[in-house]
Amino acid sequence: MLTKNSSFLFDKPAHLLPLPEIPFLPMQLLIKKATVIHPYSAFDGEQVDIFIDNGTIKSIGKRVSGFDNDRVQVIDYEGLCISSGWLDIGAQVGDPGFEYREDLESAATAGMTGGYTGLAIQPNSNPTVHSKSEVLYLKKTTQELLVDFYPIGAVSENCEGKEITEMYDMNAFGTVAFSDGKKSIQDDGFMMRSLQYVKVFDGLIINHPHKKEVAFGGQMHEGMTSTSMGLKGIPNIAEELMLQRDLYLAEYTNSRLLASNISTAGAVDMIRNAKRRGIKVTASVPAMNLIFEDTDLINFDTNLKVWPPLREELDIRALKKGLAEGIIDFISSNHNPFNKEEKELEFLYAKFGAIGLETAYSAANTALMDELKLNELVEKFAIRPREILKLDVPKIEKGAKANLTLFHPKEEWVFSESDIKSKSRNSPFIGKKMVGKVIGVINNNQFWSNSSE
Amino acid sequence: MSELSTNHVIGIKDLTAEDIHLIFETAENFKEVINRPIKKVPSLRDITVANLFFENSTRTRISFELAEKRLSADVVNFSASSSSVKKGETLLDTVNNILSMKVDMVVMRHPAPGAPKYLSQLIDANVINAGDGTHEHPTQALLDAFSMREQLGDLTGKKIAIFGDILHSRVALSNIFCLQKLGAYVKVCGPPTLIPKYIHRLGVGVEYDVRKTLEWCDVANILRIQLERQDIKYFPSLREYSQYFGINKKLLDSLDKEIVIMHPGPINRGVEITSDVADSEHSIILQQVENGVAVRMAILFLLAAKR
Repeated sequence: MLTKNSSFLFDKPAHLLPLPEIPFLPMQLLIKKATVIHPYSAFDGEQVDIFIDNGTIKSIGKRVSGFDNDRVQVIDYEGLCISSGWLDIGAQVGDPGFEYREDLESAATAGMTGGYTGLAIQPNSNPTVHSKSEVLYLKKTTQELLVDFYPIGAVSENCEGKEITEMYDMNAFGTVAFSDGKKSIQDDGFMMRSLQYVKVFDGLIINHPHKKEVAFGGQMHEGMTSTSMGLKGIPNIAEELMLQRDLYLAEYTNSRLLASNISTAGAVDMIRNAKRRGIKVTASVPAMNLIFEDTDLINFDTNLKVWPPLREELDIRALKKGLAEGIIDFISSNHNPFNKEEKELEFLYAKFGAIGLETAYSAANTALMDELKLNELVEKFAIRPREILKLDVPKIEKGAKANLTLFHPKEEWVFSESDIKSKSRNSPFIGKKMVGKVIGVINNNQFWSNSSE
Repeated sequence: MSELSTNHVIGIKDLTAEDIHLIFETAENFKEVINRPIKKVPSLRDITVANLFFENSTRTRISFELAEKRLSADVVNFSASSSSVKKGETLLDTVNNILSMKVDMVVMRHPAPGAPKYLSQLIDANVINAGDGTHEHPTQALLDAFSMREQLGDLTGKKIAIFGDILHSRVALSNIFCLQKLGAYVKVCGPPTLIPKYIHRLGVGVEYDVRKTLEWCDVANILRIQLERQDIKYFPSLREYSQYFGINKKLLDSLDKEIVIMHPGPINRGVEITSDVADSEHSIILQQVENGVAVRMAILFLLAAKR
């Protein structure tokens, strides 16, 4: 299957080559003429060759050596960029309990396709990740994979927002943060105590701000479009009211908060002010909320029924500005797999959510071409998410473990159903033309390449 | 233009002003037909129409059935409570089953907004929306506008007020789109909790004071208070509602003008409208019902002509 290094390999782009069974364990890998995008690398902005042997960067520079011509697999892709491996915070998986939507392996494959070598996943499985045993199950099941999984523990038992979980213990066994995931924490006192409790290990609470009672019955963003579609709306203040509460509580407790998946202009302003005041808050925005707006829902496409809802142009502009200013720290996939029976329904009965791992980078790159420079965008995928979780940012230097994402920021392509690697197919991006494509990922001595079959 | 621009009638949103005028002209002819001693015409012979009612309805279903039968269509009826459908078969499966029996047209009422749109993208039959949740009820809006035209002539520049529960009303939304396409001005009036916050962005005036609104309008279209569609409380009591938002004879008599009174039915007598108003000479509630059959005949006829 795998062709050894030959002139043939240099003739065609890597993605056109027949590929081995994947993930594949290459003995040696030679990446040719890749531009390094990494703020902490000595090679930042430079075009270099990288030689990887047994999962470690053995040589990097204009000219590399040490490889064995007969054994090495060469990646030579015109316009290739390379950064440290990307990490997503907040993807939904469904293993255990909802494996028909997504299991850990399919999530890893979807993640690799989207350029991720790390996934911090939500606790909303069944059972929820609310004790040591679920954390260990996730760690153990995923230890052979290319993608590193970082469990997010539940703040409350069953994510019901009532009984606090054994967060200290879970933290000791490998969770990176705590959240009730798609169940926003409604109770003020509970939120306050949670923020206080995690201070003992300087933990992070992630909450998506969404006030249930204010959004009562809402199906999409409240505005002219929802009105003309006869659908109850989710007003911006459903998000902003809770975000304000969370910010007050983060300030009061002096604890760390990630306001995940914000979607309104008002929320951006609130985060800006909070950061100025020195509150320990970070924020993310889903990639899909940068590229679609509420008017796109006019034909009741249930794949656009997502949460947070797609807002208006004004909000999108503010979100982009927030990213450019660094107010919003990173861009999330907001990956939310649902099967056909849960999405191909009347709009009212369809679940909220779309898959996003495969498309997050391309969507963000397409949406933000005028707002962010190449390295600024990459930072939102490769650097900031790891810093927020206090994980080491993989280095691109001689002797470092190879944890890398390979991508082409200018390549235009159309996302099609066959590009979906998730078990679920609820993507609003099918048929969408995008700019910027992930070429492959390298981690744990494994290499994944997005071949175009 | 002598044919509709669409193959389905899902919402007034999708119709052009020309479509609406064509439906009116056709409906005028059919109104004349149904007042003859022999009310039946062979226009839809060999066409099978399925009336799929996933939500309770009496008058709309009967009106459609009558329209279909007067056009000589073959008619099958299906009613199911939405909950039993939700538990078992999906909408698509139910409808595909019925379509396997070679149905040409589907008239559908459904509690979920967008359901007929969803269906029309998946099946070959022509779809007519007989009300989808809180979204649209196009045939009602067309018969309302048709009835207004009979009273007032051309609706350009006329002032129409819609009273009541705008938030939960598909009739309001379809009326707004239809009347605007015909050049009329529209205001909505009701308790603020029952008026969508962004309705003004559709170019509609918003007023909370019933008297002021009546002083402004030529036609008062009074909607039924849809208690069954309110999942939480939007106003304290029917008593307070009828006192402050209901329309009664005394209130109308105190204005020095005549207003056409309409109601899509069924009426909650004594709540949104008192009996003496509903039964007064200014009320055209029963003409609306008669026109409903003619307008629905026109829509069925025009869609069949496109087959």
